[in-house]
Amino acid sequence: MDREGAETYLRLLAEAAMRGSLAPAPGAPWGSGTGREPAMITVGRALAAVGAVDVATVEKIMTDFDLAVRVRQFGQGHAGTAAWVVQAHSARYVGLAPVGLPARAGPGPLEPSEPAGDEEEDDRFVPVGLTVPFRIGAISGELCLMSFAHTGTGARFIAAWDIRTPQLQTRLGAESSGLIPFEDFTVTDDRGARYQLDAKPGDDPQWSTEIIVRPAPPRDIGWLDVAGPDHPAVRVGLGPGIAPTADGQPQASDVTLSPGEHLLVMLAERLLTTAPGPPGPPGRLRRRAAALPASLRAMVAGLGDVVRALEAADVLSPLSPVPARLATLCASLDLDGHGITVPPAAVLPEAWLSLLAHYQRRKPEPAPMRDGYAPLAVALPELDGIRLALLGLLHAEESSSLYVLARGPERDHRYGPLDIDLAFPLSAWLRDGGGRWHAARSDRWHRGGRENTIRLQLVPPLTRPTARAEIIIGGQSAEVRTTVPLRWEYPS
Amino acid sequence: MINSPNEDWFAPLPPCEAQVPCGEGRHVVRWEAGAFRLASHADPEAELVLAALGGDKPRCVDLAEAWGRHAADLTVLSVGPRGPDDPVPVGWDDVDAAAQAAQPGQWGWQAYRPHSTPMRLASPPTAAIARAAARHAQFEREAEQASQRKIDILSLLALGHAFQVRLTGHVVAAYAGRLDQPDEHGRNVRSVLTAALLGRLAPVAEQWIGIDQDQVVVALHDGPGWGSAELTGRGAQRRLRVSLPAWWLARVWACGLALTGRHLVVATERAGWPDARVLALRAPGAEPVSLEAHASTGPHGVGSPSTHDGPNWEI
Repeated sequence: MDREGAETYLRLLAEAAMRGSLAPAPGAPWGSGTGREPAMITVGRALAAVGAVDVATVEKIMTDFDLAVRVRQFGQGHAGTAAWVVQAHSARYVGLAPVGLPARAGPGPLEPSEPAGDEEEDDRFVPVGLTVPFRIGAISGELCLMSFAHTGTGARFIAAWDIRTPQLQTRLGAESSGLIPFEDFTVTDDRGARYQLDAKPGDDPQWSTEIIVRPAPPRDIGWLDVAGPDHPAVRVGLGPGIAPTADGQPQASDVTLSPGEHLLVMLAERLLTTAPGPPGPPGRLRRRAAALPASLRAMVAGLGDVVRALEAADVLSPLSPVPARLATLCASLDLDGHGITVPPAAVLPEAWLSLLAHYQRRKPEPAPMRDGYAPLAVALPELDGIRLALLGLLHAEESSSLYVLARGPERDHRYGPLDIDLAFPLSAWLRDGGGRWHAARSDRWHRGGRENTIRLQLVPPLTRPTARAEIIIGGQSAEVRTTVPLRWEYPS
Repeated sequence: MINSPNEDWFAPLPPCEAQVPCGEGRHVVRWEAGAFRLASHADPEAELVLAALGGDKPRCVDLAEAWGRHAADLTVLSVGPRGPDDPVPVGWDDVDAAAQAAQPGQWGWQAYRPHSTPMRLASPPTAAIARAAARHAQFEREAEQASQRKIDILSLLALGHAFQVRLTGHVVAAYAGRLDQPDEHGRNVRSVLTAALLGRLAPVAEQWIGIDQDQVVVALHDGPGWGSAELTGRGAQRRLRVSLPAWWLARVWACGLALTGRHLVVATERAGWPDARVLALRAPGAEPVSLEAHASTGPHGVGSPSTHDGPNWEI
């Protein structure tokens, strides 16, 4: 890796942008997210994402560059320039927040209920697939247990729920957990020991998906009886149940992506999964491209610079086929001005083509799929230092999600170019029983330091309750495939 | 002899002056032979002692200190002028406005400072609150240092173009001999100087042979000789590829010698004011020739408070 080459490229890009700023009638004021600034941010984030430069260096370059442009605006009638110069903080460039969104606030990682350690052998993941109804006073609902996970940080169910009150009726999901009367649930194991349930608080008060079992039960119990208030207990078997996979153990294979190629693949998938708006019938590509946020469209203009910067940093070979595929993808999505100079590729990966075909469909989907969930419990081999466990599929409100537990070194929650989530630097895909591919994009996090439950939103959502799915998770050094049977459950 | 290490890089630069609002009046500050001088303050050291004892520090003294702090600050290369056609029009009113904006209470986040009256707490502060307070204090300190640094730079820019290019020369001179060591902020010096070279050579090249500035490619030259300059490709693929030592920025560009008599000056063989001998190219790929250069002052004359012109060198 050529770190000096990377830093030099970014600084030369800043110089080129400076020349642009010196042109007469610069138009929109600096800092408005127009001109070359988004491209520079994209390149800076890309180089930081592959480790060619550190974030602090990128921020220093952007800060100096920003100051250079600002001081040239003195005397040009830009009100507040002096105040901006001294008050601006560089974190807005490369730091925690995606473009256009504030950095997430909230408490830090939760204290583990048990000492965290390398206890992989003792980890236990069990598919559940049971619905526990509850009613207390005017509040009723159903707790849908997708899976049970017992790791070094404790025992919990991965769950979704629906809640009904006189004023509120939620659909199957993971919101408003505070309305569930967990204190009135009873939980008993096969030895008569009693436990309590509680929603695990996370840094996102609007979203929770883990129901903690306290204290953590012994790892060798056979079942738990879970009873909601005003309802009989539902027995949750924790022994061997349904086969977690249809084809034996998940299959891992080596891949030989350079850091630059892996980043470009993630960028391609980001473009493929950028939702054009609320779920609805798929539109034509032109409409979809127009619906991309303006900030993303501006950053797409920096993709050619990203490719050249990665080459300058020696993390992308000039002979790599990935930039050509990215160019073809941009053309297919009607995203012009990307600046990638290599000729487009004639062939795209099958999964990309499947998504493109979806967007090009003009026929509306048949009747929407019913809200439901499918239990999963598959621990995958480690990928790029991350150990994943697949813990459930949920389909609600015409949106489908794959729930995973990600374990590994604690990562800063940073965003890369095009706002890709660098805390989940993996490529995730699901192929349904009909052969259609669905990209799985990191969407919501339940953060817990070294263990995080992540909701991966499937794009496009499922359209029918497929009986099996092939799931592929790709890292820079390896790829894991597994085929899972799906037994769909539906709340009443 | 090219770029003799025994010759001061600033030998071809005449003195320059600027007027600075200081106290109730305007004082003269002067750059001469590589030194920043306070012409209107007889004993700046004594004034510093008084300031340390609680007295007001004159702005001129502030400026001299800022000059010392930033004469080896690579940020100057990013912010400073790329050439005579790139004015950096900071005025003293701008500096005052920035200083006012940096006062406590002007920052958005300071609105969240704890109430000055101690509040009665239901329970003692937890360790988490203490950690958060420490982080906040650290952020506050860093933000104040960053804003002070920017005010320093604005003040130095307010001295005008002549001081700006001289400060650029000092910064280059501080690092040209140690390209492979990072600066105190971890910046890669070779990267910064490569970008500084491109930013300042590209406009010169445009004037020299009419090439688009985006078609100029630079590299820092290491080793013996002055470097290289060649023109490659055609049309949109045309490139002027120039390799020059980092010292070129100080010894040639900062001294106003870069384009002299329609030649690209690549080195000084004998530095001096108002006469120097330079090594210069008439065209890319040509052999450099040794030329005698003679300087005249700009229309405002050396020492004029509004001097924006460097020396005007002729063959």
